[in-house]
Amino acid sequence: MDELAIAARDKCAIAGIGVTEFMKDSRRSVLSLATEASLAALEDAGLRPEDVDGIVRCPHDQITHNDLASSLGIPDLTYWGEVGPGGVGPCAQVGQAMAAIMGGLATTVLVFRSLNGRSEDRFGQGGHMTKSAPVVGGRATYDEYFLPFGLMTAGQTFALMTQSHMNKFGTTSEQLGHIAIVCREYANHNPRAQMGDRTLTMEDYLSSRMISSPLRLFDFCLETDGAAAVIVTTTERAKNLRQKPVLIRAQAGGCPPDMRGGMMFPIVMRDDPTEIGGKKAGETLYRKAGIGPDEIDVAQIYDCFTISILLQLEAYGFCKKGEGGPFAASGALRPGGSLPINTGGGHLSEGYIHGMGHVVEAARQMRGESSYQIEGAETCLVTGGPLPTGSALMLRRA
Amino acid sequence: MADRVLPRKGDRDTGAFFEAADRRELVYKACDDCGTVINPPRARCAKCGGWNTSWKQSAGKARLNTWSVVHQQVHPLFPAPYTIVVVELDDAPGIRYVGYMDGAHDLHEGMAMRVRFEPTEDGGALPQWMPDNAE
Repeated sequence: MDELAIAARDKCAIAGIGVTEFMKDSRRSVLSLATEASLAALEDAGLRPEDVDGIVRCPHDQITHNDLASSLGIPDLTYWGEVGPGGVGPCAQVGQAMAAIMGGLATTVLVFRSLNGRSEDRFGQGGHMTKSAPVVGGRATYDEYFLPFGLMTAGQTFALMTQSHMNKFGTTSEQLGHIAIVCREYANHNPRAQMGDRTLTMEDYLSSRMISSPLRLFDFCLETDGAAAVIVTTTERAKNLRQKPVLIRAQAGGCPPDMRGGMMFPIVMRDDPTEIGGKKAGETLYRKAGIGPDEIDVAQIYDCFTISILLQLEAYGFCKKGEGGPFAASGALRPGGSLPINTGGGHLSEGYIHGMGHVVEAARQMRGESSYQIEGAETCLVTGGPLPTGSALMLRRA
Repeated sequence: MADRVLPRKGDRDTGAFFEAADRRELVYKACDDCGTVINPPRARCAKCGGWNTSWKQSAGKARLNTWSVVHQQVHPLFPAPYTIVVVELDDAPGIRYVGYMDGAHDLHEGMAMRVRFEPTEDGGALPQWMPDNAE
C-alpha cells in the first residue's frame, strides 16, 4: 500500500530557501514580502524566475499564484495549487509540490507563505471577524456557535484545550514555561529571531500577564510581518544547483479520531480536544519515511502556542499521552538534549510565518547551516498546525 | 456599532438551533435511526449513513468540561475579564456548547451548569450557561 510513497522517498528535494526579515511593521505589501522571499530562495538555489513552473500557496495567503508569478516574472506556470488551512499548510504544501513533480505536472515548484501578521492582519485580534457588522457565521463556518459567545481567537481556543489537558493530566504552567524557555534559548543564538537578544527565565514566564487562562503572554507566539519560501525540485536536478539538496523523505497528513467540521473553534466540541490530527499524521509519516521518532535528530514543531508543542510531543510519539508536560520539563528539548526542537526559536521566539519558517529552519539543519546547528543531524521532522487536521514532513540530509 | 455579536440566522444546517433559542428552547441534532448525536449539526449521520436526523429537546442541564478566563480584550463588545465555558449536556452526552459568563469565575471540571436564555435586541435569545446553584 505504501509502494508509491516508498518509491518517492528522497526523489525530490528542497533546493533553495529564502526569508525576509521578521518584523513588527514591514511597511511593505504582502506581495512585496512574498516576492522578496521567493527571489531569495531562487537566488539561494541558483535559479531564475523563468525556471519556476509551479507554485503552491496557502489558502490563508493574500497572494495568489498569478499575483506572485506576475511579480516575479514567471512566464510559463504549468501547475498551481493550494493546501491548508493556515498552519497545516507548509508541510502539506511541500508535499503537494513533491506530488506535482512526481506526477509530471511541474519540475520546479515555489512554495511560499507571506503575511503582515502584526501590522495589518493580527490573528490575535480575531482578525477574520469584522467589528462593524457583527452578524457572524453560517455556511459551514460554524462561527455562529462561537463568536457570539466570546470565543474569538486561536489563543482562546488553545486556552480551552490547555485547561482540558490540565484537567485530565495535571499539566502545569511551569511545564508550559519550560517550552517557552527552550524556544527562547535557541532564539538567543539566532540573529534573525525577533527575541534573539532577550532572555527568558521561569520567573519572567510565571510573572507574565495572563491573556486567556491558563495561557500567559509567553505561551503565545509572535505576531509577525514577513515571508518565507522554498524551492522544490527533483533531487537529480537539485544536485546540479548551488546548494546541497535537502531530501524530502516523506510527507503525510492526518485527522483526529473525532473530527468535526469547521476550521478551529469546533475542536472544543470534540469528545477529547487534546487529541489532534498529528497522531495519525505522525504514524503515516513514519511508515512512509521508514524513519520513526527514535531516529529523529532534530524537530521543528509547529508552535502557535506552547501547548501546541506539548500536544504534538505526545501525538508524534516522543512521549506517552498525558506525559507531554513532564517530558517538556525533563530538559530533553533544550540545547544538548535528546530532542532539540525549533532550533531557530520557532513561532514563539523567532517569528510567526504560519509554519513556513519551520520548513526553512529544517532545511538549514539538513544543510548544516542553522544558527544552532545540531552536530551530525541527518533527519529532521517538521510539523504543521494542529487544527483542524495535522500535517508533517520528514527531511533528510543528502 | 451594534450592541451584540449575533449568530447568522437561517443557515440550512445550523439555523434551527438559533431559532429554537429565540423561542427559549435548547435543542441538539441527533440521528433518528441510530441515536448518534451530531455537533456541529448537519443532515447526515456518518455513523449509520442515514439522513434521518432531527432536532431534539434538551432539558438544559450540563456539566462543565473546560473554560478560560479572558483577561486580554480582543473585541469592543466583549470587555475583559469574561469567562468562556464549554459544557456537555446531561441528556445528550457528546453534545458540547460554548457559553459566555461576564467576569472571572472560579470553576472546576464537572460542575453542574444550566442554560439561561439571554435576550437579544432583535427579540431573540442566546443560550448561555451558568452554575446550577446560582440565582
